Amino acid sequence: MRSGIFFCQVEENNRLNINAVAKYAANLPSVEVVREMGIHPRLDAKDLAKQIQADNLQRIVIAGDMPGYFKPVFAKAMALAGHDPLEVRLASFREHGASAAPTLERAKAIVACAVFGVPFALAVMPAETTVHQTTLIIGGGIAGIQAALEIADAGKPVCLVERFGTIGGHMAMFDKTFPTLDCAACILTPKMVSILQHEMIRLLTNSEVIAVSGSPGSYRVQIKCRARLVDVEACVACNMCSEICPVEVPSEFDAGIARRKAIYIPFPQAVPNAYLVDREHCLYVQSAGKKCGACAKKCPKECINLDQKDDFIEMEVGNIIIATGYDVLSAEDIKQYGYGMFPNVLTALEFERLTNASGPTGGKIVTKSLRLNKRSKKEEWVFDPHGEAPKNVAIIHCVGSRDQNFNSYCSRVCCMYSLKFAHLVKEKLPDANCYEFYIDMRAFGKGYEEFFERIRQEGTFVIRGRSATVSQENEKMVVTGEDIIRDKLIQFPVDMVLLAVGLIPARGTEELSRMLGLTRDEDGWFSELDYNGNPTDTERGCVFVAGMCQSPKDIPDAVAQASAVAAGVLRSISSGRGIGHRGSVTLSDIEARAKSLQAK
Amino acid sequence: MAIRVNPKIIDDLAVYGAEDVQLCYHCGNCSAVCPHADEFNVFPRKPMRNLQMGLEKKLERSLEPWLCYYCGQCSEQCPRGAEPGETMMSLRRWLTSRYDVTGLSRLFYRSWKAEMIAILVLALLTGVAFFLFGMLRGDIHVYSGPGAFLPSSAVHLFDWSMAGVLAALLFVNSLHMWRLVFGSKDGPKPNLFMYLKHLPQLPWHFLTQNRFRTCQERNGLWLIHLLLVASYLTMLVLIMFFLPTMQSGPEIRWTVHTFGYAASIGLIGATIFMLHGRLKKTRTQFQHSHKSDWLFLIMLVYVALTGVLQHIAHRAGFPVAANLVYIMHMMGVVPMLVLEVPFSKWSHLAYRPLAMYLAAVQRDALLGRSSQGGEILAPRRIA
Ligand SMILES: Cc1cc2nc3c(=O)[nH]c(=O)nc-3n(C[C@H](O)[C@H](O)[C@H](O)COP(=O)(O)OP(=O)(O)OC[C@H]3O[C@@H](n4cnc5c(N)ncnc54)[C@H](O)[C@@H]3O)c2cc1C
Ligand code: HEM
Ligand code: SF4
Ligand code: SF4
Ligand code: SF4
Ligand code: SF4
Repeated sequence: MRSGIFFCQVEENNRLNINAVAKYAANLPSVEVVREMGIHPRLDAKDLAKQIQADNLQRIVIAGDMPGYFKPVFAKAMALAGHDPLEVRLASFREHGASAAPTLERAKAIVACAVFGVPFALAVMPAETTVHQTTLIIGGGIAGIQAALEIADAGKPVCLVERFGTIGGHMAMFDKTFPTLDCAACILTPKMVSILQHEMIRLLTNSEVIAVSGSPGSYRVQIKCRARLVDVEACVACNMCSEICPVEVPSEFDAGIARRKAIYIPFPQAVPNAYLVDREHCLYVQSAGKKCGACAKKCPKECINLDQKDDFIEMEVGNIIIATGYDVLSAEDIKQYGYGMFPNVLTALEFERLTNASGPTGGKIVTKSLRLNKRSKKEEWVFDPHGEAPKNVAIIHCVGSRDQNFNSYCSRVCCMYSLKFAHLVKEKLPDANCYEFYIDMRAFGKGYEEFFERIRQEGTFVIRGRSATVSQENEKMVVTGEDIIRDKLIQFPVDMVLLAVGLIPARGTEELSRMLGLTRDEDGWFSELDYNGNPTDTERGCVFVAGMCQSPKDIPDAVAQASAVAAGVLRSISSGRGIGHRGSVTLSDIEARAKSLQAK
Repeated sequence: MAIRVNPKIIDDLAVYGAEDVQLCYHCGNCSAVCPHADEFNVFPRKPMRNLQMGLEKKLERSLEPWLCYYCGQCSEQCPRGAEPGETMMSLRRWLTSRYDVTGLSRLFYRSWKAEMIAILVLALLTGVAFFLFGMLRGDIHVYSGPGAFLPSSAVHLFDWSMAGVLAALLFVNSLHMWRLVFGSKDGPKPNLFMYLKHLPQLPWHFLTQNRFRTCQERNGLWLIHLLLVASYLTMLVLIMFFLPTMQSGPEIRWTVHTFGYAASIGLIGATIFMLHGRLKKTRTQFQHSHKSDWLFLIMLVYVALTGVLQHIAHRAGFPVAANLVYIMHMMGVVPMLVLEVPFSKWSHLAYRPLAMYLAAVQRDALLGRSSQGGEILAPRRIA
């Protein structure tokens, strides 16, 4: 079949040498014409039809980053030329991952498959391998937990590795979840406890994966279990050690708005429910045993061993699930909102902890009070349950998101959690005014638009327009913005500002991607194999992504994706055969397979 | 009232320098951060919107581009890189071409070639005319005094007539600006008292460029610009009233020349500072340079430098060189004034003070028209 290949790009792509692909394509059998049309070519169906007739082309292959964009013109041209418009084939670099390494070979293979008229996915099926039964899950947030329970409930062994002292991830920090306003702990805590009690799950907290080798179906992983210095089995969480410990630092779990000791439990319902020592701040550890040691003497169970050493575990696993979640952009970098300068400008996570019944104020929404720090003799702004309630609260959307100076992408959950915040403020402080500044309200899920409506009904002022600055005038914080719908500049004093700060991949994501040989997209999130058709697999065989680490998403989506991943893992285990890396199939293999498939 | 929409206006404005208007997604950050936006003039987002919607007439009537003094804050914070500051700058160029009744401004802003040809033709005409005039009447070996190649009295007469023509052109264009702003049927109608009351605004803004100062905490450009304006005005006074003394010599007349030296230093220093800034893109305001920005600065610095050279040649006792450089100087002065003052960037010396004045009048008219005057004054507070 006489074929013509047209290279049409939508965007510049410096990583891919189109010319090299074109040269390769010219040598494929039955290819008569190869044309490089450049970026966003102006195409005219009549001109194209003339060319098609002149060269008598029976099949057109459009190759490029988004060839579907140009398909209508070519189909029309084929029809005008009196040829079959169905013979316009697409060679889509983006869809089939030619942005990933090794780009050039992949692009050639994609074009070859289109010329042979064979779906790329079929020709690129890697060789099958046998699979080890155990699954490694990295990250114990809601996504990791969900996947672990699904797989373990199916009777397969799981090892869950969590970096922090407890599992639960970010969801454990929340009081309510949108849009149902369910109690987050009521959903999460039972799941966390099941993890600990499940006979098929081995839980390693305070641990990190440090090396991965092997191939799909049988990976060898090395895990570093950082010494907890407290015996998890024996500790009864009596808090006596913590009471005596002289060191105080900001609590990570409380997003820094409360303090904890150097020996601590992240929160009362932590799993495992045992204390641990923060070795970076413990006087005993830092002085190599010369100072302190008070907690060890105090512990009634004698379960504190301040000289415990790190443990290294090696194990063989068949599948690996990455569920490392996210972190929050540093709000200090976004100067215009005065975070770090004004005490009552809070990040979303800080507010989650403030409004949480297990937070430092027992869930009361108050502004910070000035307190003398006895140790440092300095005055500090702290949250105190008896503090003053704010009368005016401003919530600012898209802080560091959809902004080319920070993250150009939308963080997807902040519109909805900001509405949730407005509800919480109105619920707890009915007399307070709440102002919500948004650019576009992204209420895309089931029940979300209705939730938005409900918040408006509750009396929150929803203002279209991103507030530009938070400044201080006469001891009062002032927010300034443009109300785009009412066409006015607005400026008014507020007592508290909540910033819906953008989300970024969890720290350590880059190292992990290098260790596992995974690609990440330009924003740093792990790349899935195919955004539409294969959103949980990766280029590496038997390595999956679940939850926020693949892209911003809310809890329902994270849970759904985690369950989907579990299905993929179980598929690979129960068939007894994993699937190798896509990248491992060579160009000549793909060509040969495409040819043989075409023959059929 | 039917609203006429010109969907091409965005493409049209790209020629004047604004290329990223489409990127704007109307977050309002720019208007909120702008030190000059107020309850009557919410910009630069609104003009961005009007551009996207093709509301040409609305833009034509708008004073907002002139109320922007290009501090650059809006562009720095714009989350989309839509360059609102540069859009306002481009709107000023566009408005300049709209105010101009001859249509030449439009031609020059849109066609680099036309502008260059105009400059060259004017320069050549000036050069030839001055040379022939000198050859006919005087002696190229004499710079000043009797028999001078270019006697100061003749040059003086020429200067005054040119000033008259240019002032008249600028005045007509300014009048057109006023008509556009207040001409529409449904717009505010100020009364005479309002016009009189705000009249002092004109000299005040012309002489001090006071509003520029508000941007100053961020960029210090106001002082440089003030230096430039002061130097230029000093030169103007010297040339218009003291030309015979300026051209006498060869000994130096300190009473007059001291001012001349100071003004030259100011002119050259400030323009070189601006040129350097644009070359190195040192500030937000200097990130984008339209050809008209370059041309204005280059001509300013050329004129100042040839003026200085001519002075040196004369005082050092080289009358022939002095006369020739004088002609070269005039070959810069004439095209610069003829092109820049009524048709291009320099026209801002009239439009900016005028816009501040008209905006004040407009505000009064709006307040007077509204039945509840207070409502317009207080909207910075919601709820
Ligand atoms: C302020 C705020 C409010 C929100 N409110 C809601 C809401 O009301 N409803 C809703 O549906 N969604 C909400 N979300 C979104 C929700 O937080 C996420 O959808 C969800 O937490 C994603 O879960 P995850 O397991 O993918 O990630 P995470 O919760 O981030 O869990 C990742 C876990 O992996 C661990 N980890 C990271 N790196 C490593 C590593 N290298 N090795 C080992 N462990 C590692 C982390 O310690 C963490 O425990 C909110 C988000 C924010 C920021
Ligand atoms: C003799 C009079 C004047 C001269 C020679 C002059 C010269 C200049 C020059 C050379 C620039 C460009 C700087 C650059 O390249 O960035 C400039 C910009 C500017 N001028 Fe003037 N100016 C004069 C009068 C005025 C007056 C009267 C005002 C205000 C009332 C004014 C306000 C401004 C402002 C705000 C800018 C920066 C923004 C812009 O370029 O539009 N100028 N001026
Ligand atoms: S030994 Fe370390 S953890 Fe224990 S009380 Fe002292 S400082 Fe705290
Ligand atoms: S979810 Fe809403 S607040 Fe968050 S980045 Fe997207 S649009 Fe902005
Ligand atoms: S800041 Fe930028 S995107 Fe936002 S309204 Fe202004 S120009 Fe548009
Ligand atoms: S450049 Fe400055 S003055 Fe001009 S619109 Fe932007 S913020 Fe306002």
